[in-house]
Amino acid sequence: MAFSTLFRSLHISLLYSTLLIPIPLYFYWGIVNQLGPDPLRFIEHKYGELGLIFLLITLSISPLLKYTRINLVRYRRCIGLVAFYYIVSHICVYFFLDIGLSIDILLSDLQKRYYIIAGFFAFITLIPLALTSNNFAIRKLNTKTWNKIHNFVYIAIILSIFHFILMSKTWTTELYIYTGITIIILILKIKSSKIYRKLSTYSRAVISK
Amino acid sequence: MKILKYSDITSHNLYLNRRKFIGSLGCTSLAFVPTPVAATQSYSTTAKPNTIEEITNYNNFYEFGTSKTDPAKYAHSLTTNPWEIAFEGISQNKKKFDIVEILKGKAIQERIYRLRCVEGWSMVIPWIGFPLRDLINELEVDNNTKFVAFETVYRPEEMRGQKRSTLDWPYREGLTIEEALHPLTFIATGLYGEELPNQNGAPFRLVVPWKYGFKSIKSITKISFKKEQPYTTWSSENPREYGFYSNVNPNVDHPRWSQATERVIGEGLFGERRKTELFNGYIEQVGDLYKGMDLKKYY
Repeated sequence: MAFSTLFRSLHISLLYSTLLIPIPLYFYWGIVNQLGPDPLRFIEHKYGELGLIFLLITLSISPLLKYTRINLVRYRRCIGLVAFYYIVSHICVYFFLDIGLSIDILLSDLQKRYYIIAGFFAFITLIPLALTSNNFAIRKLNTKTWNKIHNFVYIAIILSIFHFILMSKTWTTELYIYTGITIIILILKIKSSKIYRKLSTYSRAVISK
Repeated sequence: MKILKYSDITSHNLYLNRRKFIGSLGCTSLAFVPTPVAATQSYSTTAKPNTIEEITNYNNFYEFGTSKTDPAKYAHSLTTNPWEIAFEGISQNKKKFDIVEILKGKAIQERIYRLRCVEGWSMVIPWIGFPLRDLINELEVDNNTKFVAFETVYRPEEMRGQKRSTLDWPYREGLTIEEALHPLTFIATGLYGEELPNQNGAPFRLVVPWKYGFKSIKSITKISFKKEQPYTTWSSENPREYGFYSNVNPNVDHPRWSQATERVIGEGLFGERRKTELFNGYIEQVGDLYKGMDLKKYY
């Protein structure tokens, strides 16, 4: 028993470190100038994009279980937190390196730039999720509250996609792919929601009458 | 067929000698044409140019893909020789010229210009070429011409980005005739004393240093002289965000981001932002073109 717990936590730790290695690695490549002419924009975008990708993977885990029976639920917390760490790194690059710690630029960005506003609120909604992604919080909170908090992730993904769309000059292939996956995830979520199920049974009942 | 190299048109030696010659005169060859700028003033900036690696590996050239590294990867597929440029709005019978004919007899010179991209970054680039006015002055341009329109080549089989409708191809840009005749407005056919690499708009591109980079259209195959303001790609794609003029202006923000500062390419991860200058620092030379114009309205 003890051995299997140890094994489990070991392979989760391995997953954590593997998924997080690109953060320091890209930063190192940036310092030694291996990321092309614009290393700052490179790591800023890379961290943000990987954060979005890991968020989308986290959100795909329950539809994957439901429709394909592939069970990755035990990795969900890990991947979700990894996404959060990428997003924190993304914001750190923006604040410390891109705008050079300028509170003036930050405040004017937060007032005028829609993509910054969307990104900022996406980050804010993710904070309570990150803080409650541990056994202690799960024990302390009742399941209903915990589930409610963790449904914020759908708000975060919508805001993140808007953040990406609003900062892009045109619709690139990546943008189509991420937006498409988000829409699919949202449709599946709506379909499995209580309100939708109630409404559909109700309408079926009306039709059969 | 023999591949025409830039060095066939102007040998490297000749190019260097010309520079020496120009230098010994203490002025640019433009001193032969009257300009409002003092003859001793150089059109080049004294800022240190970016490296050739930076200039050729960080490009916006959507004809080859939307990523900055796509042009370096895929632009080699474009055939730049032979290259013809078609003209409209001229009274000569001959409306098509081979690039070799156009370059014949032109005083080729170097211009080290700042480039400010609308996305908020900048570079310094040592172009080789000639002022656009030298070409326009050779043509019998229609009277009452008010604008000049430019068009990039449309060859989806050679330019993979054109297979997708990222933009309304072919890419088109335009200037007022006054802007086109300004001595700073340049046609680049080379870079760093060598033939222009494909990803930088070979074989024939516009360089308008006081405007955002997207105005400086690449791989031009058509030039038209017009009475009306022509269609321009980005300003049609999103008129609220990109204007016809698109002069570099730190006081007029892009609706989605600030234009007050710029990231200097080549400064690395910890480089400081540079304050963007009005008309990209060329206010002395081009300020008169926009005297009395409301730059917030005509952005």
